[in-house]
Amino acid sequence: MKKTIFAALLSLGALNLHAVLNEDVEVPYVPFEIKMGKHFDLVQANCLTCHSFGYILNQGKQSRSFWKEKVEKMVDAFKAPITDEDQSLITDYLAEQYGNGQP
Amino acid sequence: MKRRSFLKGALAGAGVTALGPEAFAAGQPVDNRKISSIPFPQKRPMITYSDRPPLLESPRYVFAHPVTPNDMFFVRWHMPDIPTHIDLGTFRIKVNGLVERELSLSVDQLKHDFEPVEVYAVLQCGGNSRSAFKPTAGGIQWGSGAMGCARWKGVRLRDILERAGLKKEAEWVGFNGSETAAYYETPNFVRELHLEEIGDHVIVAYEMNGEDLPYLNGYPVRLVIPGTYSDSWVKMLSNLTVTSDYQHLFFMDKAYRIPDNDCECQKPGEHVPTKPITKMNVKSFIGYPTNGETLYHNSYTTIRGVAFDYGAGIKAVMLSFDDGKTWQEATLGDDLGRYAFRAFTYDFKPKKYGKQTIMAKAINRAGEEQPLAKDIKWNHGGYKFNGIDVVTVEVV
Repeated sequence: MKKTIFAALLSLGALNLHAVLNEDVEVPYVPFEIKMGKHFDLVQANCLTCHSFGYILNQGKQSRSFWKEKVEKMVDAFKAPITDEDQSLITDYLAEQYGNGQP
Repeated sequence: MKRRSFLKGALAGAGVTALGPEAFAAGQPVDNRKISSIPFPQKRPMITYSDRPPLLESPRYVFAHPVTPNDMFFVRWHMPDIPTHIDLGTFRIKVNGLVERELSLSVDQLKHDFEPVEVYAVLQCGGNSRSAFKPTAGGIQWGSGAMGCARWKGVRLRDILERAGLKKEAEWVGFNGSETAAYYETPNFVRELHLEEIGDHVIVAYEMNGEDLPYLNGYPVRLVIPGTYSDSWVKMLSNLTVTSDYQHLFFMDKAYRIPDNDCECQKPGEHVPTKPITKMNVKSFIGYPTNGETLYHNSYTTIRGVAFDYGAGIKAVMLSFDDGKTWQEATLGDDLGRYAFRAFTYDFKPKKYGKQTIMAKAINRAGEEQPLAKDIKWNHGGYKFNGIDVVTVEVV
């Protein structure tokens, strides 16, 4: 999980467009308040490899089929190695914690 | 049991379903989201949706000005791994594929071996204002600050392609940036442009508002395609590949697409043929005052905002203080070019106490004007929202 990112020294960047930019700077970690719930451990193990919790909770409340599609998209389009069983349990977690009551 | 839970679900959605298809429309985007207390590199604190990949939104007040400061400019990446270090000594932009001469250009060469050009252009996420859509559309629930306008300096893409020399069969150019996925098999965030789309206005930019590009906005170089949504403005551009055939790509074939019909709309759950989002539609946004502010009775306040479109140019911005019954013409600011934010101002003297709404509507030179939010029809990705902006203030 690389959180570091490099950034220019601001003052130098503004003064000199050819400033040598060679420092690693960390992108801050933001503690998004994710809801705890059944199978949260699987979300932690499978989803955090690619994105923060913010990426989940800022999708808004969604239907179960929406979450099912999202999990499938992570596997089909983004090639995340999530087992079939974990996919369905993660969908359960998402529908329960971030669902809108729709199937 | 199954039937019961289905009914429960149906009931929860009754607010929209009972009203028929026209209810699958839009309201106002979520506004006044909390600004994070955690600033990102080279940025002031912004509305923060994700730290990895970084997703940052500008608060409303930023749009009281026609040029968006680099340290408040929105950020949206797709992949988790953004290089932690760029060494300009070794960084190269490669041009290959169907060319006479493969190129490997340093940023210094871009700056010195080509004619520099500058353009003011609006960069806007296709999903900007997505939170306006009801029911909730898929994707990050952006307010309206996933946009900004900067003065971009760089090199015409055409000049670079000319230097490489296109072979006769050349038709498409694929653009790849340096961000990478966590898994080797994940497709890169590659975009393609047909040669016909590459006019003189498309540039490879190395400066933004007179400074190096901020790291999170694509340092050291990014593609700038004025008039189009930002999903095609590849950041940290590292490779251009010229091909004869269109390469099928996830981010062009699956993501960032809208229904291919007149209303660019669909019902939730309905699958329809789609097309890529490309040209931006006409839009305006009030930067000052913001929602919930207090204005004084009989005392002038200058309302400020910005308007833009795909490049036809803004003809007028109209404001309404009576829920759209009558419209007053705002004063337009300097014309920074057809792809830029056009600032507008209006001196407003509130005549009644209590809640006061201010609406803004832009009209472009092609005669296209912003619709009311309620007249915007739903699409699955919540793309291209351009509803008339509404701000509510309190007059005391």
